[in-house]
This record gives sequence, C-alpha cells and structure tokens, in this order.
Amino acid sequence: MTKSTRYLAFGSAAIVVFGLCTGLVAYYGGIPSLTASRVGPPELALVPADASIVAFADVRDVMDSELRQKLREALPGDQKKREELQRLTGIDIERDIDRVVAAVGADAEHSVVAFLSGRFNPTQIESLARQHGGEVVDYGGKRLIRGMRPKHPDNHSVATARVHGTAHAAKADVHPHSGDDSPALAFIEPNVLAIGAETAVKRAIDTQKSGQNITTNGDVMKIISSVATGNNVWAVGRMDHFVSRLPQEVAMRMPPIQWFAATGRVNGGIHASLRAEAVDDQAAENLRDVVRGGLALVKMQSADPKMASLAQSIRLEGSGKTVSVSFTVPAELIDLLLAKGPRGLVQN
Amino acid sequence: MQDSIRSTISNTPQHTAPGFLYSAFRVFDFSLSQMLWSRRTIFMLLVVGVPVVLATVVRLIDQLSTSAMQVNGVAMDGPAIFGMMIWMFFVRFSVPVLSIFYGTALIADEVDDKTITFLFTRPIPRGAVLVGKYLAFLASTLLVVLPSVMLVWLLVVPIRGTLGGSFIPLVKDLAILAAGFAVYGAFFAFIGAKFKRPLMIALFFVFAWENAALLFPGYMRRFTIAHYLQGLVPHTMPSDSAVTLIQSVFQETPTLGTSLFWLAVIWAVFLWLAARVVERREYVLEQ
Repeated sequence: MTKSTRYLAFGSAAIVVFGLCTGLVAYYGGIPSLTASRVGPPELALVPADASIVAFADVRDVMDSELRQKLREALPGDQKKREELQRLTGIDIERDIDRVVAAVGADAEHSVVAFLSGRFNPTQIESLARQHGGEVVDYGGKRLIRGMRPKHPDNHSVATARVHGTAHAAKADVHPHSGDDSPALAFIEPNVLAIGAETAVKRAIDTQKSGQNITTNGDVMKIISSVATGNNVWAVGRMDHFVSRLPQEVAMRMPPIQWFAATGRVNGGIHASLRAEAVDDQAAENLRDVVRGGLALVKMQSADPKMASLAQSIRLEGSGKTVSVSFTVPAELIDLLLAKGPRGLVQN
Repeated sequence: MQDSIRSTISNTPQHTAPGFLYSAFRVFDFSLSQMLWSRRTIFMLLVVGVPVVLATVVRLIDQLSTSAMQVNGVAMDGPAIFGMMIWMFFVRFSVPVLSIFYGTALIADEVDDKTITFLFTRPIPRGAVLVGKYLAFLASTLLVVLPSVMLVWLLVVPIRGTLGGSFIPLVKDLAILAAGFAVYGAFFAFIGAKFKRPLMIALFFVFAWENAALLFPGYMRRFTIAHYLQGLVPHTMPSDSAVTLIQSVFQETPTLGTSLFWLAVIWAVFLWLAARVVERREYVLEQ
C-alpha cells in the first residue's frame, strides 16, 4: 500500500469515525448544541421531559406583525387594559415580553406552567403578589411566590411549615389537594418568569437543576423540530394522555391519534396548519377520508367568493401515518373583517 | 554419492506456496492503490460528490431562508431530505453503478491489459487473485462512498432535525450500503469472470431486469438483489417518477431476516462461483 493510499484511507476513516462519534454523542444527548435543544426556544430546558403538550408563542414577532398593528387600530379599548396591567405588574405586554413557552404535564391541570421570557421588575411583581395574599418561599434556591388566593384554614399550618423548609422537604409535603394546585410564580432566571400551578413551577425548578428536560425526549423533539422554524406560534402534544381522561363514550369516537402539531404564522394574514400522527397507516387513511369529506362539504357551501378563497386555501396533505390540514387567512380578508365585521363576509 | 545428493536435497530450504487468505491479502494490498488512483476513481468521485454539493446548497438555502423547504408543496425537514438522497443517489444509483464498473472489471481489466498471465504465474491460488481484488474493490468504494454519506448527513439532517434522532437510521444506511456493495460486487465479479462482455450484461441486469421485475407484483422480484436490499432501507421510498410510483405501490417488503438471509446467500454463492470460474477458466489473450 502506497503512502498516498494510506493517507486517503486514514482521511476517509477519520470522516466516518468523526460522524459516527458525533451522532453517538448526540444520540445520548451529550452535546446540547447538536441535539434537539438547539431546536426551539431555550426555555424548553425548563419543561419536564414527560410533558404532554408544549406550546410556544413568539410574542415579540406577533406584536410587531402587521396583523397586530391593524388590531391595535381597530380595537382602541385594548390599550386601557394594557395600561392597567402595566400599572399593576410593571409589564408592558407590547414591549416587555419576548416569548412564552407553556407546558402541560401528564397531570393535566395540576401541571400547567408557562414561562414568560422578557424584561420584568421582580420587586413590583412580588409586592403585587403579597397584596393578593401571596407569600415568598425559597425553593431550590429560587424565590417562589405562592398562595395568591384565599387560604383554606387547613392549609395554613402546612404552608407555614414549608416557608423555612428545604426544597426536598417542601416536595415531600406535597399533597394533591393541600394547596399545591394554587397559582404560583418564580423567577427561574432574571428574565424568565414561570407562572402556573405550584407543583408545576416547583417541577420546573427541579427540571432546571436535574437537566432532565423535554430536549432529552427524542419523540417530542422530533415533532418540535419540524414546527419550530418559520412559525411564530406552535403547539405539539401527545393525545393518548388525554384520551384516557375522557369519558369512554367520547374516547371511543376519537380518531386514534398519537401526536398532534398545530402551527401558526402571523404576519399580515394568518397561515395555520394542524398535523396529526395516527397510530398506523390505516388509521391515518381513515382520518384523511373523514377530513376530505368535511373539506368537500365546506368548499361546497362556500358560495361567497371571499369565503371561497379561504375554503380553497384549505389543503389536506400527508402520507403514511401523517395527516395535515393547512389554511391561509389572507390579509385582505382580515381587513374586511376589521372594517365591516362578520357582515363584510356576507354577499349583498 | 546418492546419499550425499539426498542429504543436499533434504537440507535445501523448502518454499511452500502461501495459503489462500495470505495470497488474497497480498493481492488486496497492491490492488487497492491501483484501484484508488485509477481513472475510474474520478468517475466515482463525481458520483459521490454530487450529493455532497447538493447537500451544501440545500443547507445554504435553508440558512438564508426563513421558511421551511418545500418539495411539491410539502414542507421537508432534514431527515426527510436525507432519506430521499439516500434512496436516489446511493441505494438506486451509486451502489449498483459503482459495483458494475468496478466488479465487472476485476478480472476483465487484467485480461484486456494482458497482465493476467503475470498474476496466474505466481505460486498462489487463482481464486485468491479474484478474492483479493474483490476486497480491494470493497475497500476502495467504501472509503469514498461512506465519507460522502457522512458529510451529507452532517449537512442536511440538522435542518429542522436532530443528529441524535437520525443516528440509528444513519448506522443502518451505512450498513445497507456496505452490504449492497458486497453483494452487487460479488455478483458482478462473477459476471466479469464468466462472460466476455460483462459490462453490457451487468447494465442490462440493473437497469432493465431489476427495474422491470420490481415494477410488477409477483415472485419475479425475488430474483433481484434490489428487492432484498431496498427492503432494508429505513426511509420511505420516494415516488419521484412514474416507474418509482408504481414500484412504491407494488412494494412488497421482505422481512429483515429474509432480506439478510438471501443477501448472504447471493453474496456467498456468487463470490464462490466467481473464484471457481477464475480457478478453472482458460483465459486466451487476444494478440
């Protein structure tokens, strides 16, 4: 073997070995920048790995959109509510919030948490919470504000005991009906505010410490990676966690969907899509048939040209286990709605 | 006197012929450089270079554009694009075409260049010549093709996809490509050793017979290599033309065990047959 052949062999082997090692490390989640955490907002690192639904809104982008400018002009009363919120919390929703990530855990309403990322005044928010009966406790090194609702007499002693307790001690006290479902908030980072059920906010603090976040969940991240680019609003979730909670009558009629992903792109108009992943190809085909029938009905009934253009924009796509429906609300249609209200859509 | 002659003969060191594996390794050693630095390698670099260039372009377009890349109106993510490229550039094209050009030439080139006599006059089994050259073909194609696949993967998959999530399919792809080269290579090595116009037969087998057999439902597809190889590919078969659309409709995927078993059988049988042909055939060099 000549020297040049040896160099070529080593070079080729080096590329393959480098790629395989990179893939292997990424597979085990060892390089955050190479794994799915690079996909989506950084607040995903606070969402527990077993979250059933994850939603995201790029508030900054939506607020700067043409649609929002039009709404602001069309609905001037909205301004007063914003000013009231700013007076109370110091938060100007138009400027201070950049993005929101919300998550729902397997525990549904007890595990709802939203992470607001932006510029906040912690002192003002804390004093407002205290005015509403809130108390500040230390949990995992973070200041947790909780109890912002009328306290139940039975919960008082438990709450007091927790004030000086450690994070683990406080966690041990948790009882599903003892007050941990009450709203709480905590500054996880100076610019990240977590709001939600107390259990969920505590879980977010634990998640940040342990690193066992949603970015280590390959199934969810695969779907998030497919929606996180090009959309300023999206939500993805597992259906099976919720189907088991529904009444049997309803659950039986639900299509066998494993995952769903809803996306929206807000600018002058709105482009939205809803994608579902069925349990198998047959179930997806059945679902496509149902949706196809529904769409045909909608298109047949859209006699008005303006509504017809909206109906024509509805597209059914997908192959294999995937079913996807997308539609576009054009800027002209929104202008018409804002100018004349729903009557603008009716043909004279 | 006779005793002294006998003792002289017995004291003379005896040179035994090298074994089959050692002989094959020696042939592999000098054939590898010969194959890698031949004109065929330029063709091979072109074949595997196009996907890398395309992957770079796709990545650049994605970096510059804010919206998702669409193919026929359907948004595509990196892993889907990678799967499509594996099918179109590697499984359907690079593997059979490179195997044809290298596999059929293993012995045919030596015959055409009239150098086969030099190899056959060596004190090594004739079959070892073919096996050594076959191993050199396998090494040279894998040394060029696998890095190309790896570069395409590193460039394309991070587009709305994750390297971690696509790692297992990548490992499968690399194994499938290696198996493809091994099996097609063994088959075309036999064609090259047995027939006088091997290139035509090999091209007919891949582009006419295999395509036609896969097009129709029935048992004919079982007499192709593509049927077993394509059954292993972890990506969805793209339907980019009428032929592939029909193929995807009638696609009948054999089980993993069946595919592996028949690929192993085809590989072993045709490599053995090729070595046997070379052992027994009397090559007449044209003057």
